[in-house]
Amino acid sequence: MSITQNQADAEAGTEPQGKHKPGFGTGRSEFVVVAVLYTVAIFLTIGTVTMNVQGKSAPGPQFFPVIVCIVLYLVATLLAIQILRTPKVPDNSIHPGSGQFSADMLHDLGHLGREEDGTFDDAPPQTPVKTWKTYSDWRTVGLMLGGVVAFVLLLEPLGWIISAAALFWLVAYALGSRRTIFDIGVGLLFSSVIQLAFGAALGLSLPSGFVGGIL
Amino acid sequence: MEQLELLMGGFASALTPINLLWVLIGALLGTAVGVVPGLGSAMAVALLLPVTFSLEPTAAFIMFAGIYFGGLFGDSTSGILLNTPGHSSAIASTFEGHRMAKSGQAAKALATCAIGAFIGGLIATTLVVFFAPTLVKMATVFGPAEYFALAVFAFMAISAVVSESVIRGIAALGLGLALALVGIDGPSGTARFTLGMPQLFDGISVIVITVGLLALGEVFHVASRIHRDPVVSRIETKGRARLNLTDFRKALPAWLRGTAFGAPFGLIPAGGAEVPTFLAYGTEKQLAKRRNDPEFGTTGSIRGLAAPEAAANATAGTAMGALLALGLPTSATAAIMLAAFQQYGMQPGPLLFERSGNLVWALLASLFIGLVILVMINIPFASVWAKLLSIPKHYLYAGITVFSMLGVYAVSSAVLDLWLLIGIGLIGFLMRRYNIPLAPVLIAVILGPMAETELRRALAVSEGDLGILVDSPITTTLYLVLAAALTLSAVQHLRHRASRKR
Repeated sequence: MSITQNQADAEAGTEPQGKHKPGFGTGRSEFVVVAVLYTVAIFLTIGTVTMNVQGKSAPGPQFFPVIVCIVLYLVATLLAIQILRTPKVPDNSIHPGSGQFSADMLHDLGHLGREEDGTFDDAPPQTPVKTWKTYSDWRTVGLMLGGVVAFVLLLEPLGWIISAAALFWLVAYALGSRRTIFDIGVGLLFSSVIQLAFGAALGLSLPSGFVGGIL
Repeated sequence: MEQLELLMGGFASALTPINLLWVLIGALLGTAVGVVPGLGSAMAVALLLPVTFSLEPTAAFIMFAGIYFGGLFGDSTSGILLNTPGHSSAIASTFEGHRMAKSGQAAKALATCAIGAFIGGLIATTLVVFFAPTLVKMATVFGPAEYFALAVFAFMAISAVVSESVIRGIAALGLGLALALVGIDGPSGTARFTLGMPQLFDGISVIVITVGLLALGEVFHVASRIHRDPVVSRIETKGRARLNLTDFRKALPAWLRGTAFGAPFGLIPAGGAEVPTFLAYGTEKQLAKRRNDPEFGTTGSIRGLAAPEAAANATAGTAMGALLALGLPTSATAAIMLAAFQQYGMQPGPLLFERSGNLVWALLASLFIGLVILVMINIPFASVWAKLLSIPKHYLYAGITVFSMLGVYAVSSAVLDLWLLIGIGLIGFLMRRYNIPLAPVLIAVILGPMAETELRRALAVSEGDLGILVDSPITTTLYLVLAAALTLSAVQHLRHRASRKR
């Protein structure tokens, strides 16, 4: 579900644009997360109800999933309410450990004052000169996603060396490298070294693909 | 002093050439992933977990321990030189560290960090050696209700007490618990949420989850911002990193104070080094105010950098103790190391000291060796490590993507695992985008099965009476402490909300 979401957005957010009017959706894209939470909760609910219970232990195997389901429905609903009440646009402030720590709490613990808040001000401006329609660069993310999906599809038919080299090149390209021939070379070298080191020395089995059939 | 004897035995087995090599590899890798912003020791251990299966467990854990400490040695480099902390454990060291770098003392700042990390780690590891048997003795009186209480404590502490948003923290926890439910239920043999696929009977591999969230999720996140975020400029380090005696004397009390803050926090599942580093920084700031230190906040005070650095590594040291003796992971990296123990069929906790005593003491001994190696490779070569900051990002992340695929495929040669990896990677990306913490997912995935088993065991004994869960002094204390922490954190959140409205 989130995969289709990305592809739809990938087309919408390619061109840099000027200021745009805030609509209902502005700052509320986090509903994607609510959707993920509900999907997982519904999946668990169906799985728990249709579970083919073995044995007669009490509390049985459905006991804990029920608790997890309740937690998931509850937080998904609370999160939806929070997003509806206070939409949040991405800011450039620091979120320690991607939300793992409350910046306010660390602020108090460290007795931080204006000096520290200003520390990052003389760093290069965090707001880019250009503005984009979407915060995330969906074109690059889409390219990467396409790359990993293609890799998984091609791994067994093409073999590790070729598909891993192609994946290496594609990720490097998506992230801004423009030395195509060189990148392909680095990718091939990297995947071959892995095949040799991990396949031969450590005994991991990597698919050799049609190349292995020829050799 | 039975511990000293055991530790000497540990040294004897850790000081073999091959084990020394693993310590060195771990230390080098750890410093490297610490220096490069966005990587970190948790990701490194997750990526290496699958490819180390063919190693002997002792060798693998020695290397992981080197990575854990090494990550905290390197993490302040980008904060000091670029003014952009690459890891949240280094934010507190960035304030004074970057000021020192700007006033031409970059090399001194890097040396202060390395020695601070060394002292913090050394004291904390020594404490672990002396108190581990006590912790183990404490843990042997734990029954199902106590273990369940410990798991609940870890879940709530990591998802709700310190997090930016309680709802998002618990959402992450719920996702982790859901992921851990997939597979055959041990006690009853019921297949749960497997969609009838035999590949899922063993559950979703912890490796798929950790690599997806930490590595692939980070790759997607970098992709979403790489063409948009501005490039930062770096301060060049000049000269060798060294401290003179005056600096050393000034920094020593700060290092010790930092260690005192860090060491207890390793035992509490509060997500790692962030809280104690800020506490240590705050204390140094207050002290500087009292003694009218002109350097603090202007040209950079060595004390303000020394304390948080020592605090960070002290946390890592005692976190290893909590992991080994209680089986309690207190940070993301510790959680992944616990998963590694489980992959080798070992369960950290009291039994580990009994059954795999040799491994435990060799691991503890190698922590000391690792610290010595780390300080040796960090002080003379600080400016060499700083060069890692200029590695082209596109090659770095291309390599990480390929390596994630390799690791996950290596687990069971199943393409299904790769699809799961992509799905979990996308979830990891969404979580980074919306500032939903990742650590609760990891802790839930790893402690979830234990929590469920112990809860069901406790309730089976009491025949469904919930009273058994709060029936002993240990559980009551744990729940009371948790309730107090949650209340404090709620007050804190509400106060800030109120002050922002004004």
